Amino acid sequence: MRIFSFLGKKVGDLTIKYSNLPESYIKRSYEQVYWKNPTGYPQYPAAQIARKKYRFTTHRPWTGQFRRQNEPNTHRKKVFLEPVGEWSFFKGDRVEVMVGKDKGKQGIVNQVIQERNWVFVEGLNTHYRVVGKDKKFPGVTILSEAPLLVTTGVKLVDPETLKPTEIEWRYTEEGDKVRVSLASSRIIPIPKAAEETIDYKSKELYIENKEKDTAASEVTKITFQPKLATFEMDIMESMGIKEDRVPVKSYWY
Amino acid sequence: MNFSLVKNVLKYASGFCYRTKNVTSMCASSVITKGFHTTPSNSDLMEFFDIKKNWNETNIRVGRAWKLDELRIKSNVDLHKLWYILLKERNMLYTMEHECYEKVRLFPNPERIDKVQESMNNIETVIRERNIAYYKLETGETGERPVEDVVNMFGLPEKYKKQEYHIPQFMNSRWVRPYLEHGYINSLAVKKFYRLYKEKQYNETRRARNRNFNHVQHLLKRFPNMDLEKLKAEYPDVDIEKAKHTKKARGHFLPKY
Repeated sequence: MRIFSFLGKKVGDLTIKYSNLPESYIKRSYEQVYWKNPTGYPQYPAAQIARKKYRFTTHRPWTGQFRRQNEPNTHRKKVFLEPVGEWSFFKGDRVEVMVGKDKGKQGIVNQVIQERNWVFVEGLNTHYRVVGKDKKFPGVTILSEAPLLVTTGVKLVDPETLKPTEIEWRYTEEGDKVRVSLASSRIIPIPKAAEETIDYKSKELYIENKEKDTAASEVTKITFQPKLATFEMDIMESMGIKEDRVPVKSYWY
Repeated sequence: MNFSLVKNVLKYASGFCYRTKNVTSMCASSVITKGFHTTPSNSDLMEFFDIKKNWNETNIRVGRAWKLDELRIKSNVDLHKLWYILLKERNMLYTMEHECYEKVRLFPNPERIDKVQESMNNIETVIRERNIAYYKLETGETGERPVEDVVNMFGLPEKYKKQEYHIPQFMNSRWVRPYLEHGYINSLAVKKFYRLYKEKQYNETRRARNRNFNHVQHLLKRFPNMDLEKLKAEYPDVDIEKAKHTKKARGHFLPKY
């Protein structure tokens, strides 16, 4: 129904990619469904009562902090998000900060929160935060980066001129989709750090679970042989089941 | 069962497919003799539980689900075996989840259930594709359960899934669609329901239209230098020129005109 599509587009694609979790799991871990009609009965429409507005921050949707931040009966002011079209900022990108006290400085994106149009630039746009302050202990001061809006806060850096530039998504002759700098028409490659997930830095560095995982060589092995048979026929043949009874004619209505 | 699972759920997944120890080597140790038996180890009820090593684990990291393209290159026999491996894994996960619930422990990595389920759904999709291809070639039909577009008791369009009977429809006097046969669709009650239903639908679209219009006004107020083409792409039904000149979109300054 309407509500499912409404909920569906809330979590960004990059977040799902970063989490390395199935989309269905992310959905069921952050959704708050208070009532749902039973499914499979014609008399019940596919209706549900669920929380519609969630506050997305640096707490990722599948975490306990997110749930704590979005407890039932907590309502916060609406966040207005400027439409950005196609997302073009990835982890590891070199960007220039366009606002704030670090205006004009360049840095590397180290976190992307797509739900809020945020990027965090390493070591820039920072403030000090005191953590663990106690009556006896003065606390530890740590430097933490504040988010920057992708629409106004940062711009990608042109690899040739090293100046901030607008970009456009185009296709190469090989059919790959690339970001092209409008200042110098150079391709801005998507950095390797963009494929980093919560589990591993890059796909090659994943450590296999010996008991549970299938080896990559087994996965890519081609065992399919085209054959004029349905799945059931094929399985019956391979298991030596012979069936020569002819089913009676039946009618579908 | 005295496994102690501590409170910590970390998620793991990657370029390796979750569950199946070596599909093809299982093909070798074939199945012809005694039905199919996908596990090489002996089986008792403890197969419903995870291996003992994992009982105290707080984080059982596994790869991702099988993708459609990976399953399309596998033979039917492999898919059949993989299905039962996944089924047993899913049973094991459900058992462990229940057991953790009973013992008031945290079930480690609950997303494993979703991964297994996704793999199973993908296997079903691939098998269905293959069967449809066979039936289309042989009979010209999909071989799927036939579905008909009908108007249901409330006067609303519905997909009616046909059922299989041993006698044709004209002989089957017990099979009737009462609401069709007795003309309920044209009855006053159904017409009234349909009118109110349409009104409700209209109200929903109207509210969505107003909500979007208001939202665009606020966006224009907050982000005056916004890319209007992107805005138009996101809210195609909103008259942006009209929204620009409303009071709500103006902001707290005197207009220049």
